Amino acid sequence: MSFREALESGRFVVTAEVGPPKGADVEEMVHHIELLKGKVDALNFTDNQSAVMRMNSLAGCAIAVQHGVEPILQMTCRDRNRIGLQSDLLGAHALGVKNVLCMTGDHVSAGDHKGAKPVYDVESVQLLGIVESLNNGRDMSGNELKGATDFFPGGVVTPEADPIEPQLMKFEKKIRAGARFFQTQAVYDIEKFKEFMKHARKFPVKVLAGLVVLKSAGMANFLNNFVPGIKVPQELIDELKAAGKGKGLDAGMSICARHIRQLKEEGICDGVHIMAIGMEDKVPEIMERAGL
Amino acid sequence: MIITKKRDFQELLDNIRDYKSFFLIGCSECASLCGTGGENEVKELAEALRAEGKEVTGGIVAKTGCQVLGTKKELKAYKDAVNSAECILVMSCGAGTQSAVELFGDKPVYPTNDSLFLGNMTRFQVFDERCSMCGDCILDKTGGICPITTCPKGLLNGPCGGMKDGRCEVSPDIPCAWVRIYERMKKLDKLDELAESVIEVKDWSTAQSPRALSTREKKEK
Ligand code: SF4
Ligand code: SF4
Repeated sequence: MSFREALESGRFVVTAEVGPPKGADVEEMVHHIELLKGKVDALNFTDNQSAVMRMNSLAGCAIAVQHGVEPILQMTCRDRNRIGLQSDLLGAHALGVKNVLCMTGDHVSAGDHKGAKPVYDVESVQLLGIVESLNNGRDMSGNELKGATDFFPGGVVTPEADPIEPQLMKFEKKIRAGARFFQTQAVYDIEKFKEFMKHARKFPVKVLAGLVVLKSAGMANFLNNFVPGIKVPQELIDELKAAGKGKGLDAGMSICARHIRQLKEEGICDGVHIMAIGMEDKVPEIMERAGL
Repeated sequence: MIITKKRDFQELLDNIRDYKSFFLIGCSECASLCGTGGENEVKELAEALRAEGKEVTGGIVAKTGCQVLGTKKELKAYKDAVNSAECILVMSCGAGTQSAVELFGDKPVYPTNDSLFLGNMTRFQVFDERCSMCGDCILDKTGGICPITTCPKGLLNGPCGGMKDGRCEVSPDIPCAWVRIYERMKKLDKLDELAESVIEVKDWSTAQSPRALSTREKKEK
């Protein structure tokens, strides 16, 4: 069953994320693909995440297809203009990539090529519109395509954005522009996430809750202070502290598994997106603990 | 106005190392307000050059340096001083410098300033950028706040995920343009308008340099 079919069937889906390598060596990436094969419904490949130059997402996706894993192509608007984006989308489609996650992309000032000229010729809402027009057999200028695409388009949303109203406005614009599924920024406060989902449920879209595995109280504090849109509640920080030295990751994995279990059992959302950030190896164990 | 900043004096000296005598052209408009090309700055530069053993044959603060014909007229009275200078230094923006290049086909012309942006002056000699002259204004759709210029990503349909407590991902010194637009539209009771319309992909051909405009024909008819 494909990722799209799984979501549409109402089954609780699981996706995870792999960052392509900084370099030509794909061994570790292939190891992670093999490790998660058969366990997750699809794997996201990040697009020069944090504006740090790496191998492109498209190559990661194509390798995943070769290994029998369904990829989700993360596509940001930072590095390519409208011609480049459409061209890469057609190329991705030809390589068997059917899921595309349309994102704005972190600003170049966050990355390792700070003097780069940021592109943002189009942005995430508009990119969703572009995917829709390719699906309808036309490029964004209205020219007819030889062969339409069949993409399953998705977007991202930040349920903990503060203020939240402008973010919700954009969320709705993305839905109108064609987003069929959403993967959220990391959420830790499930009660608050329920509030967001109450709103999201008014729309015909599937939502996968983003989960970032915590390694320590220090990491939680770092996320709270420096990463936009992430709020780790104090109880969880206390829980990580109480776990004691060297046990932080284990406690973080338990928290993650507990959240997955609750999200699934209470039918809060349609699936989870686990961002292990360098700890892809731990994803199978987290899923096991969550009873998936 | 066009915001300018003085270039490093050593860099300027390096540019003009082959020349001995100079005529200086300031500008009474933007460069004057920026403190880069008014009366005082022209005097100061003349003194600094003399201190380096250079000769300054004269100087002028042009009324509007980017106005080619007007500047040409003003310079007539300085004919001798201009003729006896080997090199022209222009203390305005890049447009003013290129007026001089057009007027002095046979003399080297160097800029003393870097041209930065089209800016608003918020306090004396404090400037920020609010319009980047895209050629097809969308302020009518965004409550009069320009996201193309004041959002570092130029986003057209709402904030990115990098917004934190109303501030921009790029720097906490920058308020998120989209939070400002949202708040303003809310105050004006126009949130529906903002939320319902997806601003289409921009046609950047209107921002393609070099741009030119003439409204003469219409007037002459
Ligand atoms: S949209 Fe912005 S950049 Fe374009 S003309 Fe209007 S204010 Fe200037
Ligand atoms: S935080 Fe706001 S101003 Fe900054 S890039 Fe994102 S949308 Fe633009």
